[in-house]
Amino acid sequence: MKTDLDRLLVDYFRPEPPAAGLARRVLKEAVAAGGDAEDLMGRLAVAATPRGISLIRPGRQARVETAAGRRLVDRARGELHEYLLGQRAFFSVPVDLSAAPEFQAKVLRAAGAIPFGQARPYAWVAQRIGHPRAVRAVGTALGKNPVPLIVPCHRVLKSDGGVGGYIFGTGVKRRLLGLERVTPVLEGCTSTHIVCRLGCPQLRRAKSSNRVVFASVEDARSVGYRPCRVCRPSQAA
Amino acid sequence: MDRERALMRRVARGDQAAFTELVEGYGSKLLAVARRLLGTRADAEDAVQRALLQCYQGAASYEPRWAVSTWLYRILTNICVDELRRRTVRHAYASAPPAEAPALFEAPGDAGRRIDMARALARVPREARVLLALHYVNGLGNAELARIRGISINTVKSQIARGKSILRAALAEGEHA
Repeated sequence: MKTDLDRLLVDYFRPEPPAAGLARRVLKEAVAAGGDAEDLMGRLAVAATPRGISLIRPGRQARVETAAGRRLVDRARGELHEYLLGQRAFFSVPVDLSAAPEFQAKVLRAAGAIPFGQARPYAWVAQRIGHPRAVRAVGTALGKNPVPLIVPCHRVLKSDGGVGGYIFGTGVKRRLLGLERVTPVLEGCTSTHIVCRLGCPQLRRAKSSNRVVFASVEDARSVGYRPCRVCRPSQAA
Repeated sequence: MDRERALMRRVARGDQAAFTELVEGYGSKLLAVARRLLGTRADAEDAVQRALLQCYQGAASYEPRWAVSTWLYRILTNICVDELRRRTVRHAYASAPPAEAPALFEAPGDAGRRIDMARALARVPREARVLLALHYVNGLGNAELARIRGISINTVKSQIARGKSILRAALAEGEHA
């Protein structure tokens, strides 16, 4: 039996026609999409010290001499590729920033605190590291970020909304920001009822048709999911 | 149902006419769900467009054991829920309350009542709100809602009951205010 509340809700959720040409717009977009991940992966070089990834720069991938270095570089390239395909929302490969001067290290740590899919102005970074007037120096330090993409300097923009510079070009910076806007962060597996950060090895075993997106770990818990013990989504920013 | 599955097989082969037919069949329902979850028409259209793009590009991975509607609503709600997450994070940083309530002044029709409903719905927890939207836009049953969100039927029932009780209380409070 329909109650008054049911009637109100049916009225409230009445379907509404989409703008004309919706299918045509989607088909046009489908033709334009794709190829970005392979394009960027093909032109970036990754280097490592025994402690972690120490350099990511435009160029051809050089041969890595030590087996430990090769493992780190392969892992980083794998994570970067997944990230660029919209299949990863965090990096777990260690980075080695020991060669960065103190000021730059602070700037990079602040940039690293900007959540996936978000952006902040250069002035925000300057404020956060306790040097509110050093906006230009922040820009320089980010420009020399030894490990772009993994330390997300692309999430720092100009205060006027301009995109600012980027080592791989402003076009790539825009594409990364766009990619992060459409990549989910928390996904649950419908057969295990475990919620993970996107990119967790536990989640990789779940088929895409067995995944649901959640807005928070609390939301997932409220419908019977538990947080993954491997990627610990509760600790994610 | 079988007709829709056949339609999906054609979409998977890249048949653009089949895709257009699918969009014509589901476009307005998908838009209503997204609109009521995200608030503005622009955000809703963006979400629906992304969902349809994923549907077109991922049509080959569609499993016929699923109803086409289940698959489409799974994709759409995944996108909408992630957009709601993004808003919460954004507002946490701006130290302002999250603006999850649907845009109040865009409501067509009986504006006053719709505004009350929008305000009341904003108090309902996100997962319950998603289930209410799917149920009331499409009349989807508990079993399909459970498949769409990957939860048990009992959880669907308890979430909807809790959501409706919050709505009732919020609407009654509005009347007495």
